[in-house]
Amino acid sequence: MDIIVILTEIVFGFLSSVGFGVITNVPRRTLMASGITGGLAWGVYVIVDQVSGNLILPNLLAAVTIGVLANIAAIAVRAPVNVMYVPCLVSLVPGAIIYMSMKDFTLGHDATAQQGLIKTLTVAFALAIGFVLAEALMNQLRPWIKRLMRRA
Amino acid sequence: MTAVFVDAQTEAHTHLIKVRTGDFNLQKVDEINSVSRAFVGGEIDFDQLQQRIEAIDRKVIDFTWPQKIFGAGLVSVAPMLLFKATWADLAWAFFVGIAGYLASQWVGRQTTTPYITSAVGGFTIALLAAALVQWGWATSSDNIIISALMPLVPGVALTNSLRELIGKHTISGMVRAVDAVLVAGAIGGGVVLGAVLVRILAGV
Repeated sequence: MDIIVILTEIVFGFLSSVGFGVITNVPRRTLMASGITGGLAWGVYVIVDQVSGNLILPNLLAAVTIGVLANIAAIAVRAPVNVMYVPCLVSLVPGAIIYMSMKDFTLGHDATAQQGLIKTLTVAFALAIGFVLAEALMNQLRPWIKRLMRRA
Repeated sequence: MTAVFVDAQTEAHTHLIKVRTGDFNLQKVDEINSVSRAFVGGEIDFDQLQQRIEAIDRKVIDFTWPQKIFGAGLVSVAPMLLFKATWADLAWAFFVGIAGYLASQWVGRQTTTPYITSAVGGFTIALLAAALVQWGWATSSDNIIISALMPLVPGVALTNSLRELIGKHTISGMVRAVDAVLVAGAIGGGVVLGAVLVRILAGV
């Protein structure tokens, strides 16, 4: 895959996260950090999506990326980690799929609507499980990272 | 819909505070978090804590409107559609998304009826996107709609509700999941109405 393509994707992921951060009023000091986290997570998603082509793995790994990077950033800028998560998630989240499935229900295409709903749940669960994995990982690493940052 | 339970360890009473759900304001969450950390750490006493919290409650912590509008525009260019939609459509989505965000914010100020804000946002976006395609300025109304809906769609809420379910906060997780589905339904209904309206108007 072209390196330019990946860079463009990361830049747009960054812009998307920063924009959502502004809408949801995140504190200004976390805006840059969550933008970068969101961009990199989107980059991970795009690459893994190209390589594996299935639905769960890209979302899972992107969520793990967000979980780890957001925790590190939260320690660095001293902010609650949930405040970091929200803007980073915006480009990964199955918002478009749930909307399309609800639109299909309105139009009476029941079979596609149910498919969409299940797809929505799959993606959302993949993201949520990714976060759980990242939290478990970070619980082990946190004291170590804090020590490392104090020295730096 | 949502409530905060305040419980004292030494007493049997539980205080229940109903939350008026409206906008996100993560900046207030952050400030309350740092104040309570200072309190727990013993840096400020209870009176100071109360003062600071009241000050945070009264203070309007917000980005300015131009900043928010620009932010909504940025969110409306969905990375998901890069290299799938045409660049012109994505550029249109930037402006259509702003219009939808402004419409839903404006309606939210006029009424307290739940879900109508999302429906109006979806309606505006579908109307503009379908009209742009009808005039021949854009190629795919579906791509513009999906992209421009990003600021309104309850994807983050749904994912957070599943995180709550996994964290065993079952009740609040369920409440938010149902809310997210209803919001998506309202948006879907609004979009269908807008698209149908343009089709009728163009057919005449």
